[in-house]
Amino acid sequence: MIKLHIEELLVKPVNKEVLKEAANKLMFDMSDKEYETLIEEFEIITKQMELIGEIPGVDDVEPMTFPFEVTNDYLREDKPTEPLTREEALQNASDVVDGQIRLPKVVR
Amino acid sequence: MGYLHLSITELHNLLKEGTVTPKQLVDEAIAKAKADNNNCFEYIMEKEAYEFVDKLGDFDDSNPLWGIPFAIKDNYSTKDVPTCASSNILEGYVPVFSSTVYQRLIDRKAIPIGKTTLDELAMGGTGTSGHKGKTYNPWDETHKHQIGGSSCGSASCVAASIVPFSIGSDTGDSVRKPASYGGLVGMKPTWGRISRYGLLPFAASLDHVGFFTRNVEDSAILLDVLAGRDGKDFSSSFEPVDKYEEDLLKPRGKRIAVIKEIFDSITNEEIKKTFINTLNSLKNAGFTVDFVNFDVKLLRAVYPSYIVISCAEATSNNANLDGIKFGLRESGETYQDVTKNTRTKGFSELIKRRFVIGSFSLLRENQDVLFRRAQKARRLIVEETNRILKDYDAIYCPASPTTAPLFEKHADKLSNEYLIADNWLTIANFGGLPSITLPIGFSDGLPFGGNLTSSPFKEKDLFAIASCLEDITGLKNLSKKGEE
Repeated sequence: MIKLHIEELLVKPVNKEVLKEAANKLMFDMSDKEYETLIEEFEIITKQMELIGEIPGVDDVEPMTFPFEVTNDYLREDKPTEPLTREEALQNASDVVDGQIRLPKVVR
Repeated sequence: MGYLHLSITELHNLLKEGTVTPKQLVDEAIAKAKADNNNCFEYIMEKEAYEFVDKLGDFDDSNPLWGIPFAIKDNYSTKDVPTCASSNILEGYVPVFSSTVYQRLIDRKAIPIGKTTLDELAMGGTGTSGHKGKTYNPWDETHKHQIGGSSCGSASCVAASIVPFSIGSDTGDSVRKPASYGGLVGMKPTWGRISRYGLLPFAASLDHVGFFTRNVEDSAILLDVLAGRDGKDFSSSFEPVDKYEEDLLKPRGKRIAVIKEIFDSITNEEIKKTFINTLNSLKNAGFTVDFVNFDVKLLRAVYPSYIVISCAEATSNNANLDGIKFGLRESGETYQDVTKNTRTKGFSELIKRRFVIGSFSLLRENQDVLFRRAQKARRLIVEETNRILKDYDAIYCPASPTTAPLFEKHADKLSNEYLIADNWLTIANFGGLPSITLPIGFSDGLPFGGNLTSSPFKEKDLFAIASCLEDITGLKNLSKKGEE
């Protein structure tokens, strides 16, 4: 059996361009030096990720998304509750005008 | 001479006798917190603590937490008390509601004295990445050794006798590993046993509430208070709650499995020898102890699967840190720029790297090979663990292959010692299993622990076995100032 390294299986490889794309999807950026450090880190991480593929039959089971199966089939009581007040909801926003959070103009 | 090296039960008795008052306990806790040189605290709740003292009312003998000071990790929402999870991005954030854990403790008249430091957003295991820098291990006055993380401040402040108990959170081993390094009892119950409402999420399928005490009885007392259904947390369990402290000494199952591959991957002979001594003592106490096998390929995949799953889940859980509704806000030409500039400045480099690992694993083109495969490995690891627990009441192994590591430790991250012995505790997060670490020995003046893990909702059995082990080692109520 030919053992493929994880890099050969990835459609998107580990390089600065792809990692920048991954960072920008999360709405932040990093410096060139930070990307260099991350690429170095990925040298170990990809080797560790390969260990997952070495498990016999790993692709034959369903992904596990929670620790164990729990079925909650209840409906909460239809009782009114007190939500946050407007003041409470806005208390932590740093730029508030007329009871609303101010943002840069969308339509210019 | 103070009182806060004593256990919850001992303090309760002193409060009952009138030997000490809650105000005196708070005086001592606040003074120690202010003098703390281990970087335990994000925020010392001096004003708030005295307000709680004023509102305590009469002593309640039926309530073991009445008037007892405690600390809580700064990733729990605490109404009107700053909460930043040791991250600059939450600088200045003051929650307008309280987490269920905090609310239950203050409803039971325990007195919060501080919010504790953590690895930023609980995403780390070294106690070094919080925005206030390293948190130190009270057992090492030279400050060269870690206390571990991410619940570093919560572990250190109990080990330093500032409070008799503290609350942490455990996504990979963030309570149970620092407990090993700090000579403490660190407990993480079953997933869903304690409400996570108001706990800032890191990875929802792995996050657990956990806590530090200095003996097993105190740990059972805390679970009595904290366990139970909470309608505010969709993952909170409907399973009936046991009486943990009351049933602590009742006879329980006595079948213990030691995973051979974990034990074999440890190189520290002193830890191995001490551990074997505890096995012999358990056998003498009537326990059946068997070495069992666990597929090495599964064990070596625990840490990589954890990194992929936890970092991927963290990317979405932290999407609300947008610089708009709360916390840090940077300026920008558009609202997207506001968010991007805030997150670029507010997250540390380490956290950004972890997020990118998660994002990379979730890229549509890579998802099957990375994220989904890690989730599949998780299933196989949990199935193998549950297969063992069908025949045994608990799995017992050293909690860590070493005592508290040096800050500049550089482990071989592909070795079995690192991948297996240093990271096996994460299996309990994968399977949502109750898991407790307690001290079993010392090496060069530093403590190390053993860990017991059992099946979901078997906390009562777990406490009973842990209590026997505690009796065997005689290592209880340890703290740097006031060893028993």
